[in-house]
Amino acid sequence: MILTLGFSIPLRAYRRYYATQSQMAMNNYVINYESIKDAERNIKDVANVTPVLTSSIIDKVSGFQLHFKCELFQRTGSFKFRGMYNEVFNHKKTNGTQPMVIHSSGNAGQALALASRLHDIPCHVVMPTVAIPCKRNAVIGYGAIIADCQDSESSREEVAQSIVDRFDGKVRLTSPSQSPDVIAGAGTIATEFIEQVPTLDVIIVPVGGGGMISGIAVACKHLNPKVKIIAAEPALADDCYQSKLNNRRTPLTKTPITIADALRTSIGPNTWPIIRDFVNDVITVTDDQIKSATRLVWQTMKLTIEPSSGVGVAVAIGDQLKNIIEPNAVVGVILCGGNVSLEHLDWLKDD
Amino acid sequence: HVITFNDVLEAKQNIINESYITPVMTSTIINKISQYDVHFKCELFQRTGSFKFRGMFNLATNHRRDFIDRPVVIASSGNAGQSLALACKLHKIPCHVVMPETATPTKREAVLGYGALVTNCTDSEKGRTDAANAVVEESNGAIRLVSPSQTPDVIAGAGTITLELIDQIANLQAIIVPVGGGGMIAGIALAAKHLNPKIKIIGAEPAEADDCYQSKLNNRRTPLNKTPITVADALRTSIGENTWPIIRDCVDDVVIVGEEEIKIATKLIWHTMKLMIEPSSGVGVAALLSNQLKTMLPIGSSVSVILCGGNVNLDKLDWLTQTNVDIQSLIGTIASNDGGF
Repeated sequence: MILTLGFSIPLRAYRRYYATQSQMAMNNYVINYESIKDAERNIKDVANVTPVLTSSIIDKVSGFQLHFKCELFQRTGSFKFRGMYNEVFNHKKTNGTQPMVIHSSGNAGQALALASRLHDIPCHVVMPTVAIPCKRNAVIGYGAIIADCQDSESSREEVAQSIVDRFDGKVRLTSPSQSPDVIAGAGTIATEFIEQVPTLDVIIVPVGGGGMISGIAVACKHLNPKVKIIAAEPALADDCYQSKLNNRRTPLTKTPITIADALRTSIGPNTWPIIRDFVNDVITVTDDQIKSATRLVWQTMKLTIEPSSGVGVAVAIGDQLKNIIEPNAVVGVILCGGNVSLEHLDWLKDD
Repeated sequence: HVITFNDVLEAKQNIINESYITPVMTSTIINKISQYDVHFKCELFQRTGSFKFRGMFNLATNHRRDFIDRPVVIASSGNAGQSLALACKLHKIPCHVVMPETATPTKREAVLGYGALVTNCTDSEKGRTDAANAVVEESNGAIRLVSPSQTPDVIAGAGTITLELIDQIANLQAIIVPVGGGGMIAGIALAAKHLNPKIKIIGAEPAEADDCYQSKLNNRRTPLNKTPITVADALRTSIGENTWPIIRDCVDDVVIVGEEEIKIATKLIWHTMKLMIEPSSGVGVAALLSNQLKTMLPIGSSVSVILCGGNVNLDKLDWLTQTNVDIQSLIGTIASNDGGF
C-alpha cells in the first residue's frame, strides 16, 4: 500500500527539491540504480543480509510503527562493509593487487581492511595516533597496515598522499563516503529493506559524509519514489542541514565535537547533489537526545548501537518528526553501526 | 518428572500469541574462536528481556483458567518478577513481587510499571523465600505462591525454546543452557530428549554457584549452603526439588566457569555480536569457549547456546572494564593467526 500525503507543512524557510524524471535524466549523479544492482551482485553471499527488528516499547515512545534495519550486525560492525567490499571487488577486476588506501579513524577503515583481506589485497589505513586503541586494534586485526597521522584533516591527507607517492600512484585511494562504489554499496541497504518491509513510507538515515543516505535515496527513488528520505544529523555537526537551508553545499569549518563520532565529516561534492535532490528533510538532534536515544535502544532492544546510530533513533522518537509525516506512517530507521568502545561508556550513564 | 512433553506442547499453544519466536544468530568470529558451529538463541529479545516470559505467561494462562483472578506472589530479584508481572497484567491477575531493596532500579520500575505490587526483602534466597511465604500466610493462603524455577508451568514454558530450536536449526547436536534454579534447562532438556535423544544437553554454571555440577557429581541434589557471590546474578539460586530429577535424567554434563571467564565471554558477545546479553547469559558463552566442553563435544559440532536474557544495569558496568583482557586484541590475534574471517 502506497501512502499518499494529502498535505505538506513547510517546516523551515527553504525550498525542497524533488527531482523530476527530467532532472534525473539531466543531472549526472555519481551513481544510478544500475550501480546499486551491480553492487548487489558483487557483495552477494559475502555481506550479511541484516535483519529488521521492531520494539513495541519504542513504538510507544515514538508514536510511529518503527522498523530498525540492523546494520550493526553487518560484517565489521557497520554498514560500511557493503560499500568497501563493492569498491575492492571492482578495483581488483581492473587493477589487480594494487593496494587500497583510506584515511579513516573508524568504521570505514575496518570495513576496507576486511574487504581488502578477503580479496588478498594489501590495505593501508591512515589513522590519527590519538584514535582509541580498540579502533586501531580492529583495523590491525583485519589485516591492514596503519599509517599514523596527526588529528587534522590536512595531516590525514598528507600522509595518505605520501603513501600514494610511495607506490608511484599505483594504489587506489578511496574515500569513506564520496567514492561511487561505496555509495552504490550503501544503496543495497535500501534494496533489502524495501523487500523486507514493502510498506515503508519513510526511511530515517544518519548523515555524516552522506554516502549512506545518497545510496539509499537513489535506490528508493527507483523502487518506490513515494518513500520519504529523512536525514538525521547531530546539531553539533549540522552541515547537511545548513546545506539544504542555503541550497548550497556548506561544509563545517572546523572538526565538530559530538558524541556521534562517526558523523563528524561534512557531506561532500559527490553526495551533495543527491542529497539536494532526493532527501526530503533534515532533522537535527542534540547530543543529549542522541545519548538518551542510544541508551533507550541498549536498554529495551538489547542492541549495542553506537551513538551515531542513536542519531536516527533520536529523530524517530523526537518531536520534529510528527510535523512532517503522517500519524500512521511506517517508518524505517537505519541502525548503521555498533562499534562502541566498551572501555569508554560514561556517556551511557543516566544523568 | 513434574512435567511431560505434552505440557510443553500445551505451553506452546498457550503462549503463541503473546511471546516471540526469537531469532537464532551466528557469528563467523565466534565459530573460529570456539571451533564449533554455533547458533545463538536470542532470548534476550523475548518480551521483558528474558526467556522467563514463556514460563510465566504459560503459568498465568493456566492460572486464569483454573483460579480466575486469584492473586499470585513470587520472590524474584529480577527477570522472573518482571515476566510474571507482565503476564499477570495481560491476564488481569493481581501480582505481588518480592524483591530485594538492592535490585536494579530499572527492574523495579518495570515491575511497578506492569501494575504489580512490590514487597521488599533482604538479598538472600532465604530472605526472599521467607518474605514470599509471609505474603501467602497473611492472606490465609488466598494468594498463590509461584516459584521462578520450580512451578511446573514455568518449566514447561521454557521447553518451548526447544520446539523452536528444532525448527530453526538443522542437525542440532547440542544445547548449552545456563543453570540457576534449573527451570530452563529442565524444560529444554525434557523436550529435547523426547524429540531427539541424541541431542546433548550441557549445563553451564558459575563455579561460585556450582550446586548443579555438585549434584550431578554426587548423584544427589546438593544445594548451596550460602548465597553465592557471582557477576551472574540471575543464577544464584540452587536447583530445586522439581528440576533436579529432570536434570539428573536428561542433562548430559555440566561445565563450570570462573568469574573472569564469564566477564570476558559476556564482553566478547557485546563486542563482536553487538548483543547486550546479561552476565548470566555470558555463562553459557564461557562454557562454549571452555576446555571442558571439548572433552564433551567433538569440535565442529552444531551447538546452540541460549542467550537467556539481556536485562543489564547500565549504571553498574564496572564488571565490563574489570577484565584484564582486551577483547579486540584477543580477536585480533586469532584473526591474524588464521586466513581470515
